[in-house]
Amino acid sequence: MVRLADIPEPERTVIADLDCPAYEDTPPVKPPSPAERHVAIVSTAGFILRGERPMLSNETGYRAIEADVEDGDILCSHVSTNFDRTGFQQDVNVMLPRERLLELEREGSIGKAADTHYAFMGATSPPKLEDKARELGRSMLALGVNTVVLAPV
Amino acid sequence: MSGLAHYFEDEGLATVIVALVREHIVSMRPPRALWVPFELGRPFGPPGNAGLQRRVLSEALALLDQACPEPLLRDFSDESIEIMDDADWRFPATLDSSSPRAEATGVLPVWQLARARIGRSSYGISGLAPEAAVEYIERYHSPQPMRIPKGMAKVSRARFAIDDIKAFYLEAAMAEGGHPSTRQLLDWFWGHTLAGALIREFQETARVSEDSNLELIAGSLVPAGRTISFLRG
Repeated sequence: MVRLADIPEPERTVIADLDCPAYEDTPPVKPPSPAERHVAIVSTAGFILRGERPMLSNETGYRAIEADVEDGDILCSHVSTNFDRTGFQQDVNVMLPRERLLELEREGSIGKAADTHYAFMGATSPPKLEDKARELGRSMLALGVNTVVLAPV
Repeated sequence: MSGLAHYFEDEGLATVIVALVREHIVSMRPPRALWVPFELGRPFGPPGNAGLQRRVLSEALALLDQACPEPLLRDFSDESIEIMDDADWRFPATLDSSSPRAEATGVLPVWQLARARIGRSSYGISGLAPEAAVEYIERYHSPQPMRIPKGMAKVSRARFAIDDIKAFYLEAAMAEGGHPSTRQLLDWFWGHTLAGALIREFQETARVSEDSNLELIAGSLVPAGRTISFLRG
């Protein structure tokens, strides 16, 4: 469905014009075996916890979603009007499939689902996220996380 | 999202993206990505389909088992998921069309039913109750704007109040379940509610405002194809 050609105007142009800076190819990390995978989800939905300050456009920081946070306390503060929120309103796993990840852990398809998942503000230009992304990367590694599923909106 | 993949891999984490816009992945060349054929906002597919969500996650993680001397981009194995309207879906109450606030008051019990049925709500980033959020937007440009609690800039409060109003109505729309498409829900909200009309008028005012902060949020209020200025051509 979401090839650019399938998106009606004027949204198509808005999405086509999103900032896509050029990157040199990054040599991929040698992935751990499935049984050794400790997997976190990082979303760009601008998730916050109920009561937290919403993320603002161009915000460079990230928020953490601990395992004991109830689905009802996860809110989406992304600025864009271009993506659907009604799916998320009915089922958090549409954007943040942490229940599915736990199922994969229970059936042995991965070693461990991370205790904490994370969210950035997807409207922020990617290069502006670099410092905080690297900081989060090191933090996840320190917690034993070795694999990240990146989930846009 | 692709930028994050580059940074995380460079720090030593293996990554895979569940990608919604294929062209962005082709352009930014993250190490591994699974393109999925779902609408924006639903990277793991439609709500309530745990089996499909698990398949997406499993296929994404399976890319880690493939060699990728060059950036690896694969398509999800099932592109047959079609977006269908639900011909039987209707908003489960008659709306009071006397004013936006009266309409919101009438939506409240429906929304409460929806919260009970869904078991949660995504409402709540503005810090205002639903009717207060509507009133805040309604009176924003009036000589007597609504007084609000401190802690958030006025313009930000407006933006998040509008996000909350949309969540309030669209959650209420699901009070009796059904499977309306996103387009159906948005057609209803933007075309048949006073709240939708209120937000569109607010957006039109914001778009040409001399308040640069208000002008800045104008693009974050109404989908581009549903703004008054676009529809007027």
